Amino acid sequence: MAEEFSTDGMLDIYLFENEQLLEQLQERVLEQKDADCFDEESINEIFRTMHTIKGSSGIMMFDNITAVSHKLEDVFYFLRESHPENVPHLQLVEHVLEVEDFISGELEKIRNGDPADGDASGIVADLDEFLTMLKNGGVQEGIEPPPENVHVEPKQFYIAPVATSDSRFYKIYITFYPETEMANVHAYKTVYALKEIAEDLLYSPEDIISDESSADTIVKEGFRILLQAQCSEEEIRQIIGVGYDIKEVDVYECKAEEFLQGFDFGENGPSAAESAVIDLNASVEEIESKAEAAAAAKEAEGNESKEPAKPKITPGDFVIKSKEPGKRKTLAKDKKNDKASFISVNVSKMDQLMELIGELVISESVVLQSPDLNVPGLNLDNFKKEAAQLTKVSTDLQDVIMSMRMVPLTNTFQKMNRIVFDVSRKLGKEIDFVMVGEQTEVDKNIIEHISDPLMHIVRNSVDHGIESKEARLESGKPERGKVTLSAKTEAGKVWISVEDDGTGLDREKIIAKARKQGLLDETKPDSAYSDKEVYQFITLPGFSTNEQVTEYSGRGVGMDVVIQNIQTIGGTLEIESKPGLGSTMILKIPLTLAIIDGIVMEVGGSSFVMETGVIKQFIRVKDDMMIHEPNGDEYIMIRGEAYPVLRLGRWYGLEKYEEDVENGIMMILEVEEKKICLMVDKLVGEREIVVKPIPSYIKKVKGLSGCTQLGDGSIALILDAAGLIE
Amino acid sequence: MGETSDLKANSNGHDEQKGKYMTFKSGNEYFGLEIRYVNTIIQLQSVTKIPETEDYIKGLINLRGKVIPVIDVRLRFKQPELDYNDRTCIIVINVKSMMVGLIVEQIAEVVEIADDNILPPPTIGRGDKGHNKYVYGIGKVGDTVKLLLDPDKLLNDEDLSVVESVNDMSMDEE
Repeated sequence: MAEEFSTDGMLDIYLFENEQLLEQLQERVLEQKDADCFDEESINEIFRTMHTIKGSSGIMMFDNITAVSHKLEDVFYFLRESHPENVPHLQLVEHVLEVEDFISGELEKIRNGDPADGDASGIVADLDEFLTMLKNGGVQEGIEPPPENVHVEPKQFYIAPVATSDSRFYKIYITFYPETEMANVHAYKTVYALKEIAEDLLYSPEDIISDESSADTIVKEGFRILLQAQCSEEEIRQIIGVGYDIKEVDVYECKAEEFLQGFDFGENGPSAAESAVIDLNASVEEIESKAEAAAAAKEAEGNESKEPAKPKITPGDFVIKSKEPGKRKTLAKDKKNDKASFISVNVSKMDQLMELIGELVISESVVLQSPDLNVPGLNLDNFKKEAAQLTKVSTDLQDVIMSMRMVPLTNTFQKMNRIVFDVSRKLGKEIDFVMVGEQTEVDKNIIEHISDPLMHIVRNSVDHGIESKEARLESGKPERGKVTLSAKTEAGKVWISVEDDGTGLDREKIIAKARKQGLLDETKPDSAYSDKEVYQFITLPGFSTNEQVTEYSGRGVGMDVVIQNIQTIGGTLEIESKPGLGSTMILKIPLTLAIIDGIVMEVGGSSFVMETGVIKQFIRVKDDMMIHEPNGDEYIMIRGEAYPVLRLGRWYGLEKYEEDVENGIMMILEVEEKKICLMVDKLVGEREIVVKPIPSYIKKVKGLSGCTQLGDGSIALILDAAGLIE
Repeated sequence: MGETSDLKANSNGHDEQKGKYMTFKSGNEYFGLEIRYVNTIIQLQSVTKIPETEDYIKGLINLRGKVIPVIDVRLRFKQPELDYNDRTCIIVINVKSMMVGLIVEQIAEVVEIADDNILPPPTIGRGDKGHNKYVYGIGKVGDTVKLLLDPDKLLNDEDLSVVESVNDMSMDEE
């Protein structure tokens, strides 16, 4: 490493940029891993990425990274220039991922201040071999162009943009104002705009560029467009837009079949010769010649094919001209890029900002409640008005910083995609991985915490959940397994579920194992345990029903760690399973760790906060409602139901807390259908509170999940209802 | 919230801080902490108690928006508890990127102790028990001696290592 000059700042940027590049690379590769080949744009993208990494690594003198990225760049250079056929796609994907892993690993080393000493020679040799193989294969294939492509550009080597399930079809009818001059140019403008989103586009009259008389036709009869695209009617309308020239735009969505029939709206439907298909990537000048070529091709095809000539032109005939078959993908990408521009900010700065805002809010309330303001006879009308304004601004400020911390789960889900890919390849299982709702936003802190548990669960699903191909076929399931990872927000929590269509959990096996480990009550029969209870056993330490330990799981450690990690952020794990049909793990996680609605209460001079969601009811209790057991346990009868009573003051051994139930107040808490009654001295009020962790120096106290600052700057402890109920 | 003195202001001055010790009084002895650990000194403020913790952990304080735990040094040294007065201070120290407040009876001064004036603590008769586990050296300043503290051990010798090993375990098991 070049230590003669300070590389600190450069190194940070280097790491940051390359990690981002690799992340994008991985996303792109995984997106297309199931395709038959990379589309041209991806090839270019990977090539560019590797080129950039090679360049920057060269500057930073990380030779092994340079070597590897250089090799992969070579491979993609070849792919880009020579368009070889029969590329073993999966192998290619694996090579790319391997390189990505290697570079990530090295970057990690660099970040930790270790020398980047990974040995690149193995990978380089592999890539060399692969490239040679490609070259041989490519030359052979390149000699004879595929016959079905005769009438289109020989360059084409991938499939045409076919309609996907996401594609929608539209008929668009545009009427221009009669006084519009050069309507053909206006029409072309529209076509040009639509090309941005179109997968397939057909319009009439066709010859709008060269034939000026078409302007009259357009004005008289209107301008017709058939469009295949992945966008909504709204978006199309936005693109076309009624303006000074366009009088009216009609957009009808239609079915694929209708679309293929071509223009059938309007009686004066244009004849086949009048319609044209445009090359999505052709320049303006090219369009005319294309149209001619197309007509020629049409003729040629008519001669060659034995099919009767179709009465009307249909887009399927010769739309296959896109030079970028990956247009569909590109479109999806483009939409993502529509988002506002981003800057990346150091997280610690965000945290600092949040802390400062928290302090600001507190200082504000200190000022506004200053005892100096209590002087009798002081006129505070204006002060109060302005204070209200200040409060509003600071509340807005808090909201904004909170929203800044929300991040979509996309990256986390992508990581899972990678894991499924790796594990399933190694285990020889074929698995479809479906992601739903990856745009769900969660606080950054939470994302950090769920990544590992989620990884574990996903891995378990692939490893234990999904059976081997043979077993699946035997039980009449499709050969390919399916793992669905989905996220949604519900009731102030994020639900993340991992669903597989594998074997499901084996109740008998789990019970047998639990018996063996003495976890069950000997006196109870097996049937006394509900499925839910049984499944919870797998989350206990050292519990694995898998006889074989595989590379990925089965050591019996894991699920307990998962549970622990989830619990530290106040989440829960639910397990559902149907024997033979698969199982579902549902993580329920608070949206944010940072802010909760809470009730502030006081016990023995200390303040506590309880999350509002778990409190079912507040009650004042009369002495005669209490039931005392000889062993000291207390219960309370409310409307015929008995609740165990927990006196917070006694439980924590506080001083000077309220002993008399008639002076204190009770609240009924409910967590997962278990209820208890908590007694405190008095309630203070409801607040939105900023949750802070209890410093790690203090060991975990049962029933406490964090702490917060109150308006006067003092600290209140946040109670964890689940912990109290235990 | 009272006067604060930010001793960390000159953070790049590792060399300037070397050999300097923040001394404070607890019981009859004077103790010294290497100054690079000291973040700031604040007056005693209201401490929120945490139930079910060791008695020397007095609770949490709010230091400019940061929640930090405070421990009572006297109780930590198993000395009898004293009522707090206006000389009682909280020294906020940074140890392993963790901030902890130490409640001390009285702040003394910042002294310079050269390395050759620091002696290893006598072990006779005490074994490894008692004070010696936090005291790593005895610094001579003029006629007096200061017991030099290892803040890492002072905070929590056993518990900290337990926490760390648990964390390590969970990392391994991914």
